[in-house]
Amino acid sequence: MILTGLLLLALALLGAPLFAVIAAGAVFAFGRADIDQIAVAMEIYRIADTPVLLAIPLFTFAGFILGESRAPSRLVRLSDALLGWMPGGLAVIALVTCALFTAFTGASGVTIVAMGALLYPALRDAGYRENFSLGLVTTSGSLGLLFAPSLPLILYGIVAEVSVDRLFIAGILPGSLMVLALGLWSFREGRFLTRTTAARPAFSAREAAAAVRAAIWEIPLPIIVLGGVYSGFFAVSEAAAVTVIYVLIVEVLIYREIPIKALPGVMRESMVLVGGILVILGASLASTNAMIDAQIPMKLFDFVTAHVSSKLTFLILLNIFLLVLGTMLDVFSALIIVVPLLLPLAAGYGIEPIHLGMIFLANMQIGYCTPPVGMNLFIASYRFDKPIVTLYRATLPWLLILFACVLVITYWPWLSMVLVQ
Amino acid sequence: MKLTRAAARAWEGDGLLGRSLRLLGSAEDALLVIILAVMIGLASWQIVARNVFDTAIIWADPLLRTLVLWVGFLGAVAAARDDRQINVDVVSRFVDEPWGSRIRVVTDFFTALVSGFLAWQALRFVKDAREYGEIAFASVPLWLTASVLPVAFTVLCVRYLLLTGFHLRRSFGGEGEE
Repeated sequence: MILTGLLLLALALLGAPLFAVIAAGAVFAFGRADIDQIAVAMEIYRIADTPVLLAIPLFTFAGFILGESRAPSRLVRLSDALLGWMPGGLAVIALVTCALFTAFTGASGVTIVAMGALLYPALRDAGYRENFSLGLVTTSGSLGLLFAPSLPLILYGIVAEVSVDRLFIAGILPGSLMVLALGLWSFREGRFLTRTTAARPAFSAREAAAAVRAAIWEIPLPIIVLGGVYSGFFAVSEAAAVTVIYVLIVEVLIYREIPIKALPGVMRESMVLVGGILVILGASLASTNAMIDAQIPMKLFDFVTAHVSSKLTFLILLNIFLLVLGTMLDVFSALIIVVPLLLPLAAGYGIEPIHLGMIFLANMQIGYCTPPVGMNLFIASYRFDKPIVTLYRATLPWLLILFACVLVITYWPWLSMVLVQ
Repeated sequence: MKLTRAAARAWEGDGLLGRSLRLLGSAEDALLVIILAVMIGLASWQIVARNVFDTAIIWADPLLRTLVLWVGFLGAVAAARDDRQINVDVVSRFVDEPWGSRIRVVTDFFTALVSGFLAWQALRFVKDAREYGEIAFASVPLWLTASVLPVAFTVLCVRYLLLTGFHLRRSFGGEGEE
């Protein structure tokens, strides 16, 4: 049993597709428990019995369309016109727009490619230090993970069987805390900047009006989606359908930035990502069930409660574990594989599933930028043509701030729970 | 080491199998696009019907859930074709050729084995469902909605066997150097 586990772990570390590793685990576990292996297929088929799952292909596709269009440049222009006058304004704009864009496109690297390409040169032109600018665009690639309708948030709801609507609401404060903390850091940098380089543009009502007009069709999107879900008018999967239709009409028919001929390609590309996630989800439905049959969550629970007495110690260990996990696994796989094991544990220490979700995602967000394998580092290194070691250094202060936010989110449940209660 | 889409030709080969696989690939892509389009259309129609006409198609929701399964597994097959399955790439980033290919021989063959086994179990599941005449929803039989599983895992198995062969050839030098 332990030998099989180690062998599978080795295969996973060597780069075997995770779905195969997890499915193999389920097959062995069912075999040991003398359960007919047909159960693996039956468990995978349960994907077809999960209603909220519909939101994932729809939101992913909508995000891909937004990424292909010129929506990022309109968003930057709009925020520049509204916030550009304040100290560190451009940096704050970068943070806010990246967070918004990531919430809609899922933290799949699209933000760094689409927004970073606009924001990095703009930041450099405005006189921000290279390391500051690089750190900002790299860490912002996963900022917004806690804001609706981000895919990891939806996926956590599905895996943990928590209402996705409530998660959407719970994420508002912890997500805002991260944007605010990084915003203050940028503000400080911006004040330092004004003493050395030229002045910022003054607020111009004319430019603001023009920027609003340019983005007039995209501005209602967050309002429709978030307003619809928060007010209970739409279910999450309905909001996803509305988003797709709305984005299609705006980007394809009104702005005409994506030719209809290009749509099948975008559809296929987005479904490759969805397929990669769903096949892991299917395999882990089977492995989770096999683990429950083998009473592994129970044994894990007994082991941990025997060694960890206080909630505080548990939370510290949880943070360390999730940070390490985040350096190895992407947020989707980590969620699907680890959350079913963590839920009963966390419940034992009196941690609400919603709070656990916030802790989990906030930690994973840092994992996107930590060496050796943080995805944002590689995308930024490739996109901005900088050595990866430069990026390690550039992101460090940003990561420290995010880490402080993670600690606040972890040890102050009020922040995650006050809006849902 | 990840293969680009252009390199897929290299590992699928130009034989009859390679050419049929590429044909199959185009069919998969077309089906992916059609299913997603149907999902978008049906999901939107449900909203209109529910809010404007105060009715809803009863079988639309279970059909949509089934289409999620289909689009997911066709997407997974397409991800394998692009060699873009989600994995942990701690080791592969720091290993040079030919060891990168040698490691891939092991992981690809393992994936092919697992996929083959899952294809077999999924086929048993489909056969059972057919034998007992199980219904998925409305009058659509379960064997039909579940049939995507054995098909997808079989294609995954074949693709990973070909990838194994490709990396086997590469790990002993010779062909495949780009």
